[in-house]
Amino acid sequence: MNGLAIRVMSTVDTPTAHVFTQPIKKIHESQDVSAFLTSKAYTDIMTWILQLNRSMFPLKLPDNTTQAWVINSDAIQYSAPIRQLQRLLLKLEDIIQEVPPDTGPRRFGNISFRRWCEVVDSRASDLLKECLPAELLQTGSSQGEGVTAEAELKAYLMGSWGSGQRLDYGTGHELSFLAFLGGIWKLNGFPKADPGVEERAIVIGVIHPYLDLIRKLIKTYNLEPAGSHGVWGLDDHSFAPYIFGSAQLSPAISESDLTPEEGSLLNAPDPGGVAKANIVERERQTNLYFAAIGFIYDVKRGPFWEHSPMLFDISGIRAGWGKINKVGVLNLDGRYWWANRQQGMVKMYNAEVLSKFPVVQHFPFGSLFSWDRDPNAIPPPSTVHTTSGPQARPVAPDQGMPSVAATRPMPGAGTQAPWAKSGSVGQTSLPGATAAPWAGTGRAGAPGSSTNSSTRTLPIIPDTSRMPPGAMAPTRAP
Amino acid sequence: MSDLDRAIEQLRACRLIPESQVRELCYKARELLIEEGNVVSVDAPVTICGDIHGQFHDLMELFRVGGDVPDTNYLFMGDFVDRGFYSLESFLLLLCLKVRYPDRITLIRGNHESRQITTVYGFYDECIRKYGSANVWRYCCEVFDYLALGAIVLGASSELEPTSSTVNDTAQSNLAIADSELETEVLDSRGHVTMSTYRPRQRSSSDASTDSRNISPPRDISAAPGQVAAPSRSGAPGTGASSDGNGSAVTSRTGAVLCVHGGLSPLIDSVDKIRLIDRKQEVPHEGAMCDLLWSDPDEIEGWGLSPRGAGFLFGGDIVKQFNHLNGLSLVARAHQLVMEGYKEMFDGGIVTVWSAPNYCYRCGNVAAILELGEDASGGGTVARSNGEFGRSNGISGDNRVVSPGRRYRVFEAAAQDTRGMPAKKPVADYFL
Repeated sequence: MNGLAIRVMSTVDTPTAHVFTQPIKKIHESQDVSAFLTSKAYTDIMTWILQLNRSMFPLKLPDNTTQAWVINSDAIQYSAPIRQLQRLLLKLEDIIQEVPPDTGPRRFGNISFRRWCEVVDSRASDLLKECLPAELLQTGSSQGEGVTAEAELKAYLMGSWGSGQRLDYGTGHELSFLAFLGGIWKLNGFPKADPGVEERAIVIGVIHPYLDLIRKLIKTYNLEPAGSHGVWGLDDHSFAPYIFGSAQLSPAISESDLTPEEGSLLNAPDPGGVAKANIVERERQTNLYFAAIGFIYDVKRGPFWEHSPMLFDISGIRAGWGKINKVGVLNLDGRYWWANRQQGMVKMYNAEVLSKFPVVQHFPFGSLFSWDRDPNAIPPPSTVHTTSGPQARPVAPDQGMPSVAATRPMPGAGTQAPWAKSGSVGQTSLPGATAAPWAGTGRAGAPGSSTNSSTRTLPIIPDTSRMPPGAMAPTRAP
Repeated sequence: MSDLDRAIEQLRACRLIPESQVRELCYKARELLIEEGNVVSVDAPVTICGDIHGQFHDLMELFRVGGDVPDTNYLFMGDFVDRGFYSLESFLLLLCLKVRYPDRITLIRGNHESRQITTVYGFYDECIRKYGSANVWRYCCEVFDYLALGAIVLGASSELEPTSSTVNDTAQSNLAIADSELETEVLDSRGHVTMSTYRPRQRSSSDASTDSRNISPPRDISAAPGQVAAPSRSGAPGTGASSDGNGSAVTSRTGAVLCVHGGLSPLIDSVDKIRLIDRKQEVPHEGAMCDLLWSDPDEIEGWGLSPRGAGFLFGGDIVKQFNHLNGLSLVARAHQLVMEGYKEMFDGGIVTVWSAPNYCYRCGNVAAILELGEDASGGGTVARSNGEFGRSNGISGDNRVVSPGRRYRVFEAAAQDTRGMPAKKPVADYFL
């Protein structure tokens, strides 16, 4: 194979000499998103997602049969760390029993979720200790300021459950969980194995149960979609299951094949099946994409084509699940999904999650996911996205302003200002509650009169996304 | 049949009108709206509605429950667009009705009637998808800039006419003893009374205390009850922008009702200050205009930071003081999902009205509209002051204004079988 880099996310070379830092937020205004897109963290996150994605493609076996990677597949072996992570998720689920939803009057989101978050927070260190080896967690204690790996991992773990303040959950929280797993990977917390073995165990054995737990939290505590675009978004809460789920149904490959860009696994359900309740009911048992669709059926009433027009349109794609998944080059040529051709779930993720200020603004950067510039990154041109995005909210003049009481929790179901950046107004906002775009700020900013075509280009990293893991790639092999 | 009537008919059928017609419509609407003040005066009877958010079929249900335009006089408190699938159909229909029956429908601006918000929360994407370009989005945004910021409802009756339909309980009418008047009533979508409250008929200076005879209303009674000392005012009254009776503070027996999308602003202590805003612009990120469209009432004292990142939270003391100073009996606002469709807070000083049932297809809430009846007691004329508080009540010296009788009609999401057939599956050519 050729030697293009970044096939597999690099790991920490010499953990004992590694200096950890307490992760902190770096994305303060919309302009900072461009810096993020050329950071090492961004490269790592994309690499990690592509690495997991690749592992979910069905495998051609030497005997010409095909091995698909379905939910609960016996063909996926769970290593000890995977099992520990599963236990961690079960413990978190048990906390729901301890904190039943409040039965008092409420507007929408259930206040008890705040308590659930507090309990998780208070037990996070213990839960991590039970889950991961002490030597991994304590790495770094003798270096520099004595910040440990635990401190970094905990930041991402705690960012994974939604906002206790706003009682919502969105793709930014999902991203945090992917980073938590990626951090463990970087610390060599998963055993060495053939390409894809641990990755698919992570997706099926950890990410899928995580998503199930999230769905339970959403239903139990009535969590709002963070930053919902209503019907004009892919999904109210999630993105990852659509990426990995479409890979599950793509054509089978052998380890050295390029990742397919079209076609489907033999006998895969027709993408149009998402609009048919009986097919969804069947497929959600084995496939992440349909599991996510199934949840939409659980919580929404109304015609599918109306409440989920994006997913409905995608279901009309004739070139198969490979096309739906298609990663393609990572530069985007347009924000508007409807009008411009973006190709596939991963590109869409790049545009709609990683490039959106309200989503990534709360992502903390430490040593594992570093704010440092990636020397190989190609800087994004100045674009609509970075120039017309909402700016930080101007400081309110003292004059004439009231004294302001302590920040109150979001009372649920409201719009947040996309520009809002105060406190932990987080990932995005809610269905009832609109956030000011400029507060914390801006999902895509208002296209000014001159920017309606909204072309935007993201940084280009070498397009190795369809290539199998190569020999030159940094691997965890010693 | 005029082009406009044809457009209305087409939009009622949930079919879009051509871009050229949208352009013309928006132009006419702007000409009309530019003549309106920042605070539109509306005479009762009027039906007040909250957020719609592109839920077209539910808007049709609203008209079924509340009566059609122009038979019913409507006031929509903004947030016509975003999140729902039919923001275009909903907003363009309302705009057509506004142009066709300008005196029978009032539209005020919500925080979603903004360029920046619509690019984030869906309306922009919807325009691109349905019209293939941003032109229609641009026309609509130009209209948004001209929408009024609020409305004052004048001449509402303190007492509700009993609903003819007392099918559910005949006992209801027996409760309306001679010395009580019907203050609030809640009706389901079939017009059946599900709840009503009475208050003693009072003509003197005694405070109007609500006598709740039925199931307790979903009213917030947790607000600190204490009497808020109203600052004495010796200066110019808050309203006096016009001397012809259009002044905002109207203290007939029933106080005026201020309608605004979000709520109050620390920069606005009188309705007249709203009139001074230069509103014909994109909604700013801060300041009075922003606050009116973004703020929320909350169980706090004074003002608080809004977790939305725009506007403020304001407590019951703020509402009481504002109402008192402006001769208002009620602030009606929208902006927040409430599961019961409406929610009164602070001793009935403010009400949230929410008109998008099963919001976003999943919230499970009902919707409501608020009807205020016409005060016929004065033989059709409404005693109006210039807002100089206390004068209009003459000798009584009672500064307390009586809240209007409030009839809430609660309704659920339109049945799915009322929806049109699915649109032809769009070609997802962006995946080619």
